[in-house]
Amino acid sequence: MLYDINLRIEYDYEVAVSGGRHMVRILPRSIPGRQRLIAGAIDIVPQPVERNGLVDFFENSATSILFRNAHDRLEVDMQARVQVDIREDLPDFSPRPGELSREIAAYWSLDPASPHHFTGHSPRLPHCPVIAEYARSIARDGMTVQEIGNAICERIHADFTYDAEATSVETTPIEAFRLKRGVCQDFTHVMIVALRSLGIPAGYVSGFLRTIPPAGKERLEGADAMHAWVRLWCGRVTGWIELDPTNNIPAGSDHIVVGYGRDYADVAPVIGIVKSYGQQTTSQAVDVIPVTPQG
Amino acid sequence: MTSTAAEAERIDGNPVLEGLMKYAPLPGIADEMVAPDGTVRPVWQPLLSALRRMDEAELASRFARADRYLRDAGVFYRAYGKDAGGERAWPLSHIPVLIDQSEWETLSRGLVQRAELLEMIAADIYGPARLVSEGLLPASLIGTNSEYLRPLVGLTPAGGHFLHFCSFEVGRGPDGNWWVLSDRTEAPSGAGFALENRVATARAFSDVYAEAHVHRLAGFFGAFRDALLAGRQFEDDRIAVLSPGPANETYFEHAYIARYLGFTLLEGEDLTVVRGRVMVRTVAGLKPVSVLWRRLDASFADPLELNHQSQLGTPGIVEALRAGSVRIVNALGTGILETRALLAFMPTICRHLTGEDLLLPSIATWWCGQKLEREQVAANIEKMVIGPAFSTRPFFDDNGRSVLGSALRENAKLSITDWLDSDGSGLVGQEAVTLSTTPAYVDGKLVPRPMSLRVFAARTGDGWQIMPGGFARISSGNDVSAITMQDGGSAADVWIVSDKPVDRTTLLPADENFTRNMPGSLPSRAADNLFWLGRYIERAEGALRILRAWHGRFAEYADPDQPLLRDVTDYLKELDIDTAEPVPSSLVINIDSAVFSASNIRDRFSPDGWLALADLAKTARRFHSSVQPGDDATRAMTVLLRKLAGFAGLVHENMYRFTGWRFLSIGRYLERGLHMTRLLRHLAGEDAPDGALDMLLEIGDSVMTHRRRYNVATARLTVTDLLALDPLNPRSVLYQLNEIKTEIEQLPFAYSNGQMSPFYREAMRLHAGLAVMTPEGMTPEAYRRFEGELEKLSDILGQTYLS
Repeated sequence: MLYDINLRIEYDYEVAVSGGRHMVRILPRSIPGRQRLIAGAIDIVPQPVERNGLVDFFENSATSILFRNAHDRLEVDMQARVQVDIREDLPDFSPRPGELSREIAAYWSLDPASPHHFTGHSPRLPHCPVIAEYARSIARDGMTVQEIGNAICERIHADFTYDAEATSVETTPIEAFRLKRGVCQDFTHVMIVALRSLGIPAGYVSGFLRTIPPAGKERLEGADAMHAWVRLWCGRVTGWIELDPTNNIPAGSDHIVVGYGRDYADVAPVIGIVKSYGQQTTSQAVDVIPVTPQG
Repeated sequence: MTSTAAEAERIDGNPVLEGLMKYAPLPGIADEMVAPDGTVRPVWQPLLSALRRMDEAELASRFARADRYLRDAGVFYRAYGKDAGGERAWPLSHIPVLIDQSEWETLSRGLVQRAELLEMIAADIYGPARLVSEGLLPASLIGTNSEYLRPLVGLTPAGGHFLHFCSFEVGRGPDGNWWVLSDRTEAPSGAGFALENRVATARAFSDVYAEAHVHRLAGFFGAFRDALLAGRQFEDDRIAVLSPGPANETYFEHAYIARYLGFTLLEGEDLTVVRGRVMVRTVAGLKPVSVLWRRLDASFADPLELNHQSQLGTPGIVEALRAGSVRIVNALGTGILETRALLAFMPTICRHLTGEDLLLPSIATWWCGQKLEREQVAANIEKMVIGPAFSTRPFFDDNGRSVLGSALRENAKLSITDWLDSDGSGLVGQEAVTLSTTPAYVDGKLVPRPMSLRVFAARTGDGWQIMPGGFARISSGNDVSAITMQDGGSAADVWIVSDKPVDRTTLLPADENFTRNMPGSLPSRAADNLFWLGRYIERAEGALRILRAWHGRFAEYADPDQPLLRDVTDYLKELDIDTAEPVPSSLVINIDSAVFSASNIRDRFSPDGWLALADLAKTARRFHSSVQPGDDATRAMTVLLRKLAGFAGLVHENMYRFTGWRFLSIGRYLERGLHMTRLLRHLAGEDAPDGALDMLLEIGDSVMTHRRRYNVATARLTVTDLLALDPLNPRSVLYQLNEIKTEIEQLPFAYSNGQMSPFYREAMRLHAGLAVMTPEGMTPEAYRRFEGELEKLSDILGQTYLS
């Protein structure tokens, strides 16, 4: 599938901020065998005094920007064309958890795709006994890692209500778990904590969803802003697979990846450090439109 | 006066040392003073013979000398927990630990090898990670380690080295050999305290110290200072000690080290990153910093790319590291080398990377993430300490998170295998070592107390140097677990004793060629604190003077509703001061605010000044709860005024007349100007109650002058003339403006492009406007307008210099 993606993020500051430094992660990345960024650009208003592009540890593309003048509004626009070619419905070659832990121990590398980055706690995701208990109640003896992943994905989708008002970007997984409500970030965080508690390496994917579904399919939840889902490591043979607990589906050709990380903190679209005394309001608008190749 | 081995005295079986000096090492445990054969080690002989000649009274007076030094120097530590935030007297164990130079050299060789090994490990973890791919280091120990800072992976530090200053916790086992208990690479503390322990201990034993060939410490610090200076990009760049701030346990040391080495003490807020360079905000604009000796934990250094919650860091620091423009000592991320489980892999890694064995063994450690090691730990549980694998502290100093295997209850032991199996990768077993003892003076006699030693290593132009001395921690009981200060432990000096005379380097420059360095530009935050210190001090003085005059009259009239007293009470209410309280709480808070401002810039004060200010605050609090209205309060105010003048005098006599002094002074003049303007508006009005003018003169300390200068009784116009418009009266408003104008001329940016700065122009305008006034023109409206303009001047100063 070929997509044109537009993203617009706006910040309005009640009291003008005197300057600030931000890190922006919104540009889709190229992933061999999954997707390719054909073209992409980010526009920022007001014009930053400094702007640097970099590739972070997990090989996401990031842009750091600096403002030194007062402004009361910030606009970030991203446009990209992305080709997605994902292989769906692969057979399950994943091991059972006991064997998985041996495969993890035998993985002698710290490359960005190494499962070792995704097993312990991470900045936003401490261990959580309550979610671990929930995970144990879902995983049955004899299940493969992929089956466990699917089962947890299904249960979270069934037990949780999608509710944009219930949580915020700062909500912790335990709060979301108690509420059984939230948005894609909360669904994703809870599922990551659950998988890790069972010894399954799991990480956070930020990205986009196709806005208008193909004919005959339902509109996916979370398409009107940036989306998030889970990826989990299913052993040497299968490697990483991606599951979307908000919609209870594997991430397929409707999912476009921006960033991989351990949790939201690694891939937040905009991290900003501003000197500010007032409130700020944010809005996001996304369009992900399939492009029909011309003749 | 050194004794030879032939004269060595036997202690066990033949107690020569009687009474005070009777000393019996614990069975089966090594002792620093007494050798295994029962003889006193030769290096201890001179100190011991000197001690034997002293009686209890002399010892007490010697120890008091050391304690007085520490108190006067303001050495303290900050207690956490129950009485959090409290500053505690420094617990010095007065008997130093003496170690023979030849033994020290062996230890040093082992530590130099270790520092070099740690450097190689850091370069590998943040570089190619071959130790992981070749199976020498489990990937999970790095991948799940919160000290593994991913944004730093792949970056080679400016200058090429990760480590520049390390410390090692070492202890002597029962067999007499030294063991490394833990490595400290993140932000090692204690070197400054070691210096203070040295000075204090040398005070107590000045005679012994002068005779014994004890290695001096200054050379070590000098070599490290030179190495940091050589690391600058440009000669004008600054070197700064980066501190998390006064709330930190070891802030005293940050300030002390900065002052001792002549570096600037900064906090994250002082810095900003522009075009990949780290800059410090100063009153003269942004100035580059190219070497930062950080005492701040790495993850807090950059809220943008590291810990997003950090309030202590500087956004963009990691970007500056990518640009290679700043050298951070030690590199961010090196805290991972402190991981306890790493000790288990050091011997193999050392052989692999250097082809040599570790010269100095680490405490035997097994990581329970591996099956064989886990079984080893379970089988020998009685001889083990079990603790967290990712802890960065030694087992006896990790807030009780490590447990002795032998202390686990019988029924609990059944589940030990389960515990290790389920949680293995998070646990290590370590051999439960018994550390050596050293003499401590407790209740009139010397007793053996367990000790661990912190030794410091610095990278210098000639490679790693080991500080010839250290920071000994002495347990408060027979158990090594009571060794931390938070648990009542104490600290002792460490003397490395040579059999030949030693080099007596000091950090003072040699006579023949010195340069007179001007202080660098003042950081804006320091200027802000100095300015406010000046204002708080003056505000306190103003309030004290009014309250003293009020209580003096109250003692006479005994009626708070007497018109003048009523009037002044109402006036004070506007300033949030309640005359119903003899020493009002708002006054106490005001003085505490002055202390707080001063505590943020402690490296800029002499210890004397600090102590004077702390004493003022303590006295004010005491008076607050004890003083009665009237005479008693008048006397209390006089005491407080005298203490305040004492502090101001120390500052006036001792503070270098440079930019910092000017901000402090401007703060004082401005506040005094405001105080007098408000007071004149209120008490010199035509409707002021009887006695107001006399009270005004008393508050303005101008009774005598008025009598001399005007041959008439106090009148509205003469009082106004003297307190508002007299350019020679140091209490008058005009005098304050005159002084402010003079200080501003010396500040950076007084002129830009040949024109006066807005701040300078405003001060000139205010001064001229007042200088041409006549007493008749000083109406309440004029005072009110003037008060507003003074406040505005303070705002412009803030905008120009302090943001």
